[in-house]
This record gives sequence, C-alpha cells and structure tokens, in this order.
Amino acid sequence: MSRKRLQSLVPVALIALALLGFVLHRAGLLQPIQGLVVRVAAPIQEGISGLSTRLGELAQTARDLRELRQRNQELEAQNAALLLDNVRLREIETEAALLRDLLNFTQPNPSYGIQGARVVGRTIAQEPSNLQSYITLDVGRAAGIERNMPVVTNRGLVGRISEVGETWSRVLLIIDPQSTVNGLTQSTRASGAVQGQADGSLIMRSIPQADTVSVGDTVFTSGLGGNFPRQILIGQIVEVERKDYELYQSAIVQPTVDFQHLEIVLIITDFEPLQETEPGGQAP
Amino acid sequence: MTIYLAVPLLAAVAILQSTIVSHFRIWGVFADLPLLVVISWGLLRGSREGLVWGFVAGVAVDLFSGAPFGAATFGLMAVGALSGLGQSTVFRSQLVWPLIAVLLATIVYDLVFMLVVSISGYTVSWLDSLVYRVAPSAALNAVLTPVVFVIMRWLNARFGREEMEW
Repeated sequence: MSRKRLQSLVPVALIALALLGFVLHRAGLLQPIQGLVVRVAAPIQEGISGLSTRLGELAQTARDLRELRQRNQELEAQNAALLLDNVRLREIETEAALLRDLLNFTQPNPSYGIQGARVVGRTIAQEPSNLQSYITLDVGRAAGIERNMPVVTNRGLVGRISEVGETWSRVLLIIDPQSTVNGLTQSTRASGAVQGQADGSLIMRSIPQADTVSVGDTVFTSGLGGNFPRQILIGQIVEVERKDYELYQSAIVQPTVDFQHLEIVLIITDFEPLQETEPGGQAP
Repeated sequence: MTIYLAVPLLAAVAILQSTIVSHFRIWGVFADLPLLVVISWGLLRGSREGLVWGFVAGVAVDLFSGAPFGAATFGLMAVGALSGLGQSTVFRSQLVWPLIAVLLATIVYDLVFMLVVSISGYTVSWLDSLVYRVAPSAALNAVLTPVVFVIMRWLNARFGREEMEW
C-alpha cells in the first residue's frame, strides 16, 4: 500500500479508534487504561496543582500586600491628620490653662478693666546697648492701649507699657534695670523701691534700717506713687543685704513671673497712673 | 513536527488544562487550552494534521476528565478538521481569522461534547449550557487566541516544516 493511500486512511482510522474508545468506555472496558493513565499522571497533576495553588497564594499575597500598602498609606495620612489635630488640641489645652490661670487674677480683681494680649516678641537681656528687657504684644492703640498701663499675669507684675503702636505695644519688664516699682513686704509692711538688675533678678532698695525684712517674705506693689495698682505680687525675698553704717538696707527679690515663658499677659486698662514717667525714669 | 513530539506536547497541555487553567475562572468559565492549540494547529497545518492533533488532544483530555470517553475526542477532532479548512497563507499572518475560527469552533466543540454526553445517557441542559457556558467560553477563548496562536505559529516555524510522520 502506498504512503499516500495510507495517509488517506488516517482520518478514518482515527474516527474508528475514537468510536472504539467510546464503545469500550460505555462497556466499562476502558477503566483499566484510564486508571493506569490517572495513576501515572496523578503525581504530575498533584505537583502542578500544588504549584498552581502556591502561585495562586503568591498572587493573593501580592494582592494583599498591595491592599495593605494602600491601607497603610491611608492610615499614615490619617495618623498625620490626627497628629496635627493632637498638636492643635494640645495648643488649645495649653492656652486654656494659661487663660484659666489669668482668670485667677481677674476674678479676685473684678474692678480692673482687663485687656488680654499675646506676646509676639521678646528681648530679654539680649539687647546689646543697655540690656533692655521688654516684650512686644499684639495689641496697641487700636485696642485702647496707652503708655504706662500696668501689665500683669496671674503670677504677678510683669511691667508697664512703654511704647504703643497702632496694633502693637511694648512692655518694659520690671526686671529691666530701668524699671523701678514701689514695693511692700507682706508680713512686715517694709517699703522700698524694687528695681530690675542685669541678671534678671530684682533688688529692693531704700528699705529703712528700722524695718524688718526677712528671706521668704513676699513683695507686693505698694501703690505709692500711683504708677501701679496696689497688692500686685512682685516676688519673694531670697537675700537680705544690711549694713549698719548705711541708712537703708536692701533685699534681693526673686520675681514670681517667669519672664522667659510669657505667652499671654493682661493689661490693666482702666488704671490711671498719677504721673506719667518716661520708661527710663524713676518712679516717685 | 512529528507525532512523537505532538503526543507529549498535547498530553502536557491536557494536564495543564486539568490542573492550572481550570483554576482561573473568568465570566464563570475557564479557557480551553487544548481547544485553542488544536484550532491553531489546524489553521496553520491544515485539516489532516488538525484532525490528528484533535484526536491526540481529545484522548488526553478524555483520559484526564470525568466525562464520557469520546466527548472531547470527537469534539476536538471535529474542530481540528474544520479549522484546517481555513488554512491559507493569506490568513496565516493575520489574527482575525483565528479569532473568528475560535469563536465558531468553541461552539462546535461544545455542541459535539454535549451531544456525546447526551448519547452516553446523561442529561444535558442545552439552552442553559449554550447561554451560560458556551457563549462566555467562546468569548474567553477568543480573547486568548492571539497568545496561543502566536506560540503555535512559532512552534510551526520551528518544528513544523516537515510533513507529519507516521
């Protein structure tokens, strides 16, 4: 039989074989062959299936990773927003605490007209020429602020307005060497002039020798001279300097106000000084 | 390509179909890799080789599947032979004809398959199967045709110059 004739019989043979397989299967005679094929192919199928499953898991892991990354980004953004909120709330809390403290001053002194002000700048013991100590506030003439108005916090006397602009004002602090405040010790009522020193402390001068001054005593404004209201806390005596041959004794006073960390202060707006003094001038 | 290379290749394709491909369902169905291979080969090599490849692939699929023996064999032989009718040098370089061929061949294959299953005494839901299985399957196979056809064209160029030996 020629090769061409053989090839023409191939389709017929294949159809016949398929039909035979079909019949054998129907008769149940193909099961041994199928069983053999399955037995041989089973390990291969298992291996490939396992690989396929692992690949599927890997793909799932990659998908999970992508989702987790996205979720992580969302959470990081959320976290950043919450951090900002947290910082803002802490600021508000700090400010609320400050205002609450300031309220402690205004409540026992209801007769004072008070204007709150935020400290926007400060120069304490840094000014090169004369070691001025002052702070700058965010309120000025537009808010009714005038020169020589006393500035306080709940912790005591800060200073007085020395310069006023339209929307700003400058406060000469009581620790400035140019500042002098008439003071009075609480327990012995000894009076003197409290003056700022270059090192940021206060010295109470001109205390009569006859008066008793002791360490730990607190010093308030006396109101004498009319530059400051009475009974505003200035500080606490930490050292007494007394020399028998001198007419007066003096005392080192530690101010109660923390001038380095002032944020909000109160300006007493309705106190009228009896006599206006220049910032560098001596209070009467 | 000799029949000695076609047998392991198609057996491997049948194993891949029963292990990996059946895991990736799209539109509720999975691609039919042996079908795509047989159609592509038929288009490239003609009806006679399409018929032979259909027979080999069909036997392999039938042996690995739980369906009645002959369902895949008759189906793949039919599409292998029919797709060979489209063999032409004009169409070899284009992908449009394989796409159309796969769409039609999937329907023919599934109809033959269901017919054999039906003859074997099983109940076949013809309409539902056509709507929910055959149609999406034809679309999915058509989508995958370019990939398979390009691979088969490369195989044909590499191994298929000579006539199939018996």
